[in-house]
Amino acid sequence: MRTGVFFCQVENGKNLNIDAIAKYSANLPGVEIVQILGVKPHLDAKLLSEIIMTNKLNRLVIAGDMPGYYKPVFTKAMLLAEQNTDEVRLASFQEHGVRGEYALDRAKAIIACANMAVPFSLVASPKRNPVSHATLVIGAGIAGIQASLEIANAGKHVYLVEQTGTIGGHMAMFDKTFPTLDCAACILTPKMVSAGQHEMIHLLTKSRVSEVSGKPGAYRVKIHQHARYVDVDACVACNICADVCPVKVESEFDSRISLRKAIYIPFPQAVPNSYLVDPENCTYILSEGQKCGACVKKCPKECINLNETDKDIDIEVGNIIIATGYELLDVGKIEQYGYGKYPNVLTSLEFERLTNASGSTGGRIVTKTRQINKKTGADEWIFSPEGAPPRNVAIIHCVGSRNKNYNAYCSRVCCMYSLKFAHLIKEKIPNVNCYEFYIDMRAFGKGYEEFAERIKHEGTFVVRGHSTNVEMKGEQLIVRGEDILNDKMVEFYVDMVILAVGLIPAKGTDYLSRILGIARDPDGWFSELDYNGNPTDTERGGIYVAGMCQGPKDIPDTVAQASAVAAGVLGSISSGKGIGHLSSVTLSEIESRAKIIHTL
Amino acid sequence: MAIRINPTLIDELNSFGAEDVQLCYHCGDCSAVCQHSGEIFNFPRKSMRRLQMGLEQKIETTFEPWLCYYCGQCSTQCPREADPGESMMSLRRWLISRYDFTGIARQFFRSKLVEVLSIIGVAILTGLFLVIYGFSGGNLQIYDGEGAFLPSTFIHKFDLLIGSVMAIFLLINAIRMWYFTMIKGVDFNIPWWYWLKNIFTLPLHFFTQKRYAECESKNKSGIFMPWLIHLGLMLGYAIMLVLVMVYIEELQYGPDIIWKVHIFGYLASIGLIIGTVYFIRNRLIKSKYVQYKKSHDTDWVFVCLLFLIVLTGIAQHILHRTGIPYWANIIYVIHLMCVVPWLLRMPFSKWAHLVYRPLAMYFAAVYTDAKEKQEVISGSYAISVK
Ligand SMILES: Cc1cc2nc3c(=O)[nH]c(=O)nc-3n(C[C@H](O)[C@H](O)[C@H](O)COP(=O)(O)OP(=O)(O)OC[C@H]3O[C@@H](n4cnc5c(N)ncnc54)[C@H](O)[C@@H]3O)c2cc1C
Ligand code: SF4
Ligand code: SF4
Repeated sequence: MRTGVFFCQVENGKNLNIDAIAKYSANLPGVEIVQILGVKPHLDAKLLSEIIMTNKLNRLVIAGDMPGYYKPVFTKAMLLAEQNTDEVRLASFQEHGVRGEYALDRAKAIIACANMAVPFSLVASPKRNPVSHATLVIGAGIAGIQASLEIANAGKHVYLVEQTGTIGGHMAMFDKTFPTLDCAACILTPKMVSAGQHEMIHLLTKSRVSEVSGKPGAYRVKIHQHARYVDVDACVACNICADVCPVKVESEFDSRISLRKAIYIPFPQAVPNSYLVDPENCTYILSEGQKCGACVKKCPKECINLNETDKDIDIEVGNIIIATGYELLDVGKIEQYGYGKYPNVLTSLEFERLTNASGSTGGRIVTKTRQINKKTGADEWIFSPEGAPPRNVAIIHCVGSRNKNYNAYCSRVCCMYSLKFAHLIKEKIPNVNCYEFYIDMRAFGKGYEEFAERIKHEGTFVVRGHSTNVEMKGEQLIVRGEDILNDKMVEFYVDMVILAVGLIPAKGTDYLSRILGIARDPDGWFSELDYNGNPTDTERGGIYVAGMCQGPKDIPDTVAQASAVAAGVLGSISSGKGIGHLSSVTLSEIESRAKIIHTL
Repeated sequence: MAIRINPTLIDELNSFGAEDVQLCYHCGDCSAVCQHSGEIFNFPRKSMRRLQMGLEQKIETTFEPWLCYYCGQCSTQCPREADPGESMMSLRRWLISRYDFTGIARQFFRSKLVEVLSIIGVAILTGLFLVIYGFSGGNLQIYDGEGAFLPSTFIHKFDLLIGSVMAIFLLINAIRMWYFTMIKGVDFNIPWWYWLKNIFTLPLHFFTQKRYAECESKNKSGIFMPWLIHLGLMLGYAIMLVLVMVYIEELQYGPDIIWKVHIFGYLASIGLIIGTVYFIRNRLIKSKYVQYKKSHDTDWVFVCLLFLIVLTGIAQHILHRTGIPYWANIIYVIHLMCVVPWLLRMPFSKWAHLVYRPLAMYFAAVYTDAKEKQEVISGSYAISVK
């Protein structure tokens, strides 16, 4: 074979030394010519075909981050040169995870394989190691719970680590889920309860992974468990402690639209179903035992110990699953929507809590009412069950998503939940006008398009055109935008604006990526091994990703991915052998394996 | 009527400065944030669409680009970094070249070389002509009065000649603009009294640049800085034009100062100096105002030449009055060598804004009246958004 290697990049991979890779490829057997065509080259099939003919090439290797992008031109060039078009081979850096410290060798190996027409993933499988049977799951949202249950049901131990006081993650905050409008709690609560009670699941709430060492199949993990100050087993969740607690703070679980006490339970169905103390706000803890302590005296079960200290737990596990989910972008920094300035501009999660029957208004959708803070005398805007329902509501899509100034990517679920919001609003408030401002409607899943159509038929005004401007005149919010399909500028007077805020990786993602050695995408999500072929593995042996932490996705996809991860984990346990780090296979190993296959 | 599409329009606009049009995904954020975008004139998103689709005829017949003052809000907000503000600016350049029947503007905007060479050429011709004329009857040591190197009566005639050439070009171009926008671009009837009714908008916009100020009230730039300076520059320029065309003989008279004429000259010079220095500075440091982030070549030629004119103008004035007529004459020749290409260039350059903008405002007012009436008649005013 006479091969030509062509380097074309879609994006400028600054850290990658293309020259070195090119030199390496020039020495590969059969390679006649190597050309570096640069970033976003303008390729001409005619010219390329001349190169092919003059060098009598009969195989082309296109190397780069996304070589598939340029394949059509090369195929055409091969046609023009009257060569076999099947011999246009791709050496895709992105697909096979060329990143991190092994990037250079990986890139070389990928090209070596392409040159020999051997699939990279076939030869680049690392050595297998013995696996210890316990599994660590980090993050107990729907992804973490699902994966834990699958593994535990197969009779294997799981340590489920959750940083907050309850498992459930974001799904626990929702009222209904799209597109079926099923009750979220009805799906999630049974899973939460069985995870909480499962004899094979060790639930570690208020905990974080602090150190990881060891090798695939035998990771030693240190978990830092914060004191809960309440005995989980003894607490009966009678609420007497919270009744006497004098401290009121915003509830994180309620997206800060309602208040909780310093001793609290995030929500009534929390698992573990026990109260906990927020040490940052508890008077007793802040005053180092000098003041308050009211709850301790009142607790009928005597299960509160405000002097409890944090613990470190050491465990050994064979596999680790990351399921840390997401959080919302800080919309306050996108000034034009007036979030934080105008009381009735809400984020999506705030609205989820407002419309949730277990929320502070009992599920009534109302606008905020003004109240005077007794202590400071300042005006405050709060949601009260007696508040007036909005007569006009605007929902704005893509807030901070698909926007080069914030997140360039699509957050994938906001179109659908925005439609869900419109439905809930229409359902709960008679004669309400609901306007959705969207750029493109991404109804990508099964039944989603139908759902979108249904919402339109329910009478929601779906405006093609994004609005940037929210202003306030008196008590009314004015949303200005362009109705593109009708070729009109529109100004709607509304009482409430809901922002479909973009999603970003959860806060601890950066730390976890460092201690686990897992790379992250440019957008910050954890990188999977191979987006198409291996979306749950990572380049680290025995470490997997599930759910939102790998990239925006809806609940069905999250659950599917979590189950897929469990299958991988169980496979490694039952075979007794788990995959090692991808970096453990060296370039020369890959080369020699490829050679063997090539000669076969 | 079928619409003809020009698929290379977007590439063509690229050479006028609009480089990122293709990035736009039509969210409409830019139109929503634009102070001037409204029911009838709705931009810049629509222009982006027309460019992407190559709707040349539509773009040619719209005056929307003239309603934009490039406050840059749209570009700051654009989620795709498609730079709609710069596209509107480029459209103005393109429209100038479209209105221009000679095709010169087009060459200038597209090639720096052509522009600079033709400026130098005209300057040299002017210089030669003046020097030959000067030596044929005058004395380099005398600035004005008997035996002057460049007698003011001659300069007056010369100015008027150049001025009328410029005016003819401008007039023809303005008529073409009117034809494109108000005849080709309008498919309903415009009653004649609307033309009369709105005539006041012409001087109003010319003298106040009021829409620019509206932009900035939103820009929160404190004391409306760019607007004020822009206004000073434009008014300074207009006053100078009148002085040179009508009062040149008084202006040149010396060495005494005739306050009732010269005071206007001084004021105009101050406006022009502050303006040019401010714009040069902003373009150099690419100041916080988006509109200065990208400079088209023609922008540079424009400010630099103007700066030179003002400097030499002031210099010859001072030299004359301080009794150094020899140098005053030399500098004066240089001054005129800059002025002539500058004046002749006006119909083909950014300075044509001076004429097109108020005209566009006037046309827009007429159009709006007629359109509103039209919509009342056809009852198509109801908004249905579903
Ligand atoms: C407003 C809104 C409405 C939505 N509505 C729907 C809907 O109707 N239907 C649908 O299909 N999808 C919906 N989604 C998407 C849905 O929320 C996600 O698909 C799903 O919650 C992802 O689950 P997860 O387990 O991956 O992440 P999460 O639910 O975010 O769970 C992650 C868990 O990990 C914990 N954690 C994070 N970091 C750490 C750490 N370092 N250590 C320990 N624990 C950690 C977190 O506390 C959390 O409990 C909606 C999303 C939003 C924003
Ligand atoms: S899902 Fe819809 S609203 Fe969300 S970022 Fe994507 S396109 Fe925008
Ligand atoms: S803001 Fe940008 S992307 Fe949106 S319509 Fe305007 S130019 Fe296009």
